[in-house]
Amino acid sequence: MKQAEAVKRQSVAGKERYRVTLPVRWKEYRKYSVLFLMMAPGLLYFIINNYLPMFGMVIAFKDINFAKGILASDWAGFKNFEYLFKTRDAWIITRNTILYNGSFIIINLIAALAVAIILNEVRSKLLKKFYQSFILLPYLISMVIVGYLVYAMLSMETGFLNKSLLPMLGIEPIAWYSESKYWPFILPLVNIWKTAGYLCIVYLASIVGIDKEYYEAATIDGANKWQQIRSITIPLITPVIMIMTLLQIGRIFYSDFGLFYQVPLNSGALLDTTNVIDTYVFRALINLGDIAMSSAAGVYQSIVGFALVVVANFITRKINKDNALF
Amino acid sequence: MQAKERAYQWFINAVMALLACMCILPFILLVSSSITSQSMIIANGYSFLPREISFEAYAYIWNDAERIFNAYGVTILVTVLGTVLSLAVTSLLAYPLSRKDMPHRNFLAFFIFFTMLFNGGLVPVYLLYTQFFEFKNTVWALIFPMLLTNAFYVMIMRTFFQTTIPVEVIESGKMDGAGELKIFYKIVLPLSLPILATIGLFQTINYWNDWFNGLIFLTDSRLYSIQNLLNRILLDVQYLSSMDFGTAQDDLMAGLPTETIRLAIAVIGVIPIIAIYPFFQRFFVKGLTVGAVKG
Amino acid sequence: MRKKFLWGIVFILIIAVISAGCSSGNQNSGGNNGNTNAASPNEENGKQPAQKELPPYEITMVFMGNESPDLERVAGELSKITKEKINATVKLQPISAGAWSQQVNLMLASNEKIDVITTSSIFGFSTQAASGHLLPLEDLLAQYGQGITELMDPAYLNAGKINGTQYAIPTNKDMATQGGIIMRKDLIDKYNIDLDKVKTVDDLDHVFQIIKENEPKLIPITTNTTFSPIDVLAFFDPLVDSLGVLPGHDNDLRVENLYEHPKYAELLTTMRRWYQAGYFSKDAATTTEQPYEVVRANRAFSWFNVMKVGSAENQSTRTGMEMVALPLTEAVSTTSNVTGFMHSIPKGSKDPERAMMFMNLLYTDQELVNMLNWGIEGEHYVKKSDHIIDYPEGFDIKSVRYNMNNSSYMFGNQFLNYVWTTQLEDIWEQVDQFNQNAKKSHALGFTFDSTPVRTESGAVNNVKQQFKLGLETGTLDPEKTLPEFISRLKASGIDKIIAEKQKQLDAWAESKK
Repeated sequence: MKQAEAVKRQSVAGKERYRVTLPVRWKEYRKYSVLFLMMAPGLLYFIINNYLPMFGMVIAFKDINFAKGILASDWAGFKNFEYLFKTRDAWIITRNTILYNGSFIIINLIAALAVAIILNEVRSKLLKKFYQSFILLPYLISMVIVGYLVYAMLSMETGFLNKSLLPMLGIEPIAWYSESKYWPFILPLVNIWKTAGYLCIVYLASIVGIDKEYYEAATIDGANKWQQIRSITIPLITPVIMIMTLLQIGRIFYSDFGLFYQVPLNSGALLDTTNVIDTYVFRALINLGDIAMSSAAGVYQSIVGFALVVVANFITRKINKDNALF
Repeated sequence: MQAKERAYQWFINAVMALLACMCILPFILLVSSSITSQSMIIANGYSFLPREISFEAYAYIWNDAERIFNAYGVTILVTVLGTVLSLAVTSLLAYPLSRKDMPHRNFLAFFIFFTMLFNGGLVPVYLLYTQFFEFKNTVWALIFPMLLTNAFYVMIMRTFFQTTIPVEVIESGKMDGAGELKIFYKIVLPLSLPILATIGLFQTINYWNDWFNGLIFLTDSRLYSIQNLLNRILLDVQYLSSMDFGTAQDDLMAGLPTETIRLAIAVIGVIPIIAIYPFFQRFFVKGLTVGAVKG
Repeated sequence: MRKKFLWGIVFILIIAVISAGCSSGNQNSGGNNGNTNAASPNEENGKQPAQKELPPYEITMVFMGNESPDLERVAGELSKITKEKINATVKLQPISAGAWSQQVNLMLASNEKIDVITTSSIFGFSTQAASGHLLPLEDLLAQYGQGITELMDPAYLNAGKINGTQYAIPTNKDMATQGGIIMRKDLIDKYNIDLDKVKTVDDLDHVFQIIKENEPKLIPITTNTTFSPIDVLAFFDPLVDSLGVLPGHDNDLRVENLYEHPKYAELLTTMRRWYQAGYFSKDAATTTEQPYEVVRANRAFSWFNVMKVGSAENQSTRTGMEMVALPLTEAVSTTSNVTGFMHSIPKGSKDPERAMMFMNLLYTDQELVNMLNWGIEGEHYVKKSDHIIDYPEGFDIKSVRYNMNNSSYMFGNQFLNYVWTTQLEDIWEQVDQFNQNAKKSHALGFTFDSTPVRTESGAVNNVKQQFKLGLETGTLDPEKTLPEFISRLKASGIDKIIAEKQKQLDAWAESKK
């Protein structure tokens, strides 16, 4: 109340000074009132769905006791974060998370870009459409089902590889789900299979959007396909690549839970190469049911992800201002 | 030159055909295994050609047809309603942002972008939805959390509007005395079908494949979507058959073709989304073409 | 640009603060309501327990299970009984097993109205109690739960206590387990295997060898990720989580590291020997296929399983062939057995007194318990004689419209149940005998509260998951891997957990004196 009065007083005092500017400002807002009104549902949604729950981050710093209520619980400082840093696992899961997600970003980028460029070269419109549909197909299904497909391939006793393919090649069956050394290859493969199609279509879309005149001019100058790709296609779709990549960097600390949990069938023997922050937290929670600890992990992921985007964006700005996100 | 070009096309088509095959083969394995008899799978493993065709899994599901059809109904309702609402809210938000003359547009864009990086975690969201909105055990619990799930869609759409709708068109609309809403509705939207179809498809996929919200907000199985049903059957089969607390008779689990049932339900869950995809595909590439280029 | 960015942060902070304010208000008011409502009937009831004076109330009961088409009809019929006895109606709220942990933890965290909930040491009972989700039950039990206190052996009842406070009432069921092996009878007969000679685990080598030699297509022992053979053949009281155990179920209450125990190493060597002899399947450490399914598909001979009254009959139904059950350890009752399923009253209950009255009925009212378990007589089951029941004509387990998955061990007093025609006719007498004859672990009734060492618990569980199944199915060589396993456990802080457990156990033993 007092505040409101103070503001009022201030504005009265300020009226003299801003007599000219204020009404203009107000008028401008009125002009855009319909546009603001149009945005209202969306903005309101973000406030409710995304900003309001952010207060939940306090849970991460509480020694939570629901008999007292969330806010009345004692502060715990960084105690809830300890399990993310104190143990030997902490190093493994952070390493796995960054290496996997980092390699996903790079491999998917290369694969998707390559396929997009090849696809763009296909002349037949019908076939092009056909390929596009097939490539996007894996993106349409949920990870639970992907887990089943992988199992059908790799299962020790019933899998297609061990039962049909390897015997044909005269190779002994491999216990895929207990040999951790294969998974740094299996997981990226599954990830490519599932998501590269989507990225590919995004890149293809931007390649299609490039003005044909550039290529015609290049052909007249005698540039070959490879030169055209390097000096026309890639530079022109760089903004799209940057945007897609920056977004993924922001989420580098979050892993696709389904990929790292469902696909390896939660197999203990594979933990060294399949455990990432999300699955580690989930396993800890299944055993302990501790909400404060999961919140701590969420805060950790958010902050690191945010910092990474800001840094990556900063670097991008230094190199080329136009490609930066903000 | 001609021959060389032809060989080049052959080569490229061969590469693409191979890739397409790799994408589709696991699905064939899935379908063919779902119509193999359970004991065949356990004895001989999964294979691309069913050695002994059996529809026992589908027959079992048919027994439960009431539940399956109900779940289909929920999925379709949620997907259609969710996608339409989502498109409405997204485009209404994206259009003003695309207007260069909009005050505070950069701040607003950042306000939206920021939501992609930070989240408050599950507990507060759950509290909000169940205590404040009483969404628990309603279809809204399946629709609302995903309405603008990805701020990226707002960004793509904003860029599309910015780059494909000429300012002159909007200006001339104003000259004719049309209000902002009318301009949006009569001029901007019809010019933006590709992006609407693209985001529409993404949201359709998201809604169709969502099981998490159902897992959290639903206890009433009449509201289960196909994915929830699938997820629940997968989990429950594991739990129920691994628990051994009972002294009473346990013939519930006996005789169920559990392995193939899962596959059959997976097939049932996947087919519709594959079936509708071609209808969107027409707009798909075009929508992304312009939308994804940063403006 | 930078300025805008800063403003963005400020704005977000403001919103966060506002929202925190809103929600805290909400939180408090919710809590207060609960308290005032709860307090008033308490006073009235204390003075005059006349039941007609109770205001109408709806009891929400949350339990693990699946919905049946006739669930609401049965709840309606149940309400008729409870309406008359405690002027309350009943709302049944099953939550499927797969979603249980997620949903229940969220429901408890948001203080939803639940009056009676299933709690279990397998599903985080100690954390739920420690985080203040559950109400203390002593007073309620003394006032409204006489039926329960009269019925239950205090040794079992006390297992629902944590740090001396009663947070849950165990259901009255079989309270002990016994490790053993389930084998195919046809093959035992075919090769004239004399089971009388098999007394210990090492006697099994002979049996498996015969099977391996004569039935090369069969896996002699099939396993599953849920229970390893060593879990089944436990020579120790796991003290709920197996991190720090009581070997021999006594050990003078001295908690030891299971994985350093010589007997554990010895068992691992046996498993390794079997694995190398080909008695386990190659994917023993990872397969999720259910053992009885593998046997039913004619791919395996046996599996290790927990033994109870009627195990052989049960497993024969599951595999579709005749099985024999051979016990290999003595029957012991530990806290884990007793606290497998319990009833608790969460903080969200608006009328804990009534919830306790309802719980009391679950342990004493035969009509109510049977209706909850099997549905309405004549519709969902028919009586063949006084206490023997079967499905009505034309129905079976898949088509009956009310089916609680035979989870009668989850509700109150299992001994009140009617017996199905497929069960042993005197099953409850036998179970009672089984309970009485079972050895009681020295630590029976002690429940470990892991919250003081949760950082370590999380880390140790991860290490355990990485090595345990591999070692306990013989897939990994214990010579090489066991030392690594132990050192990793130590690095993650298992000693701290054991020390904390010892401390709590000593305090518990002290309080018992």
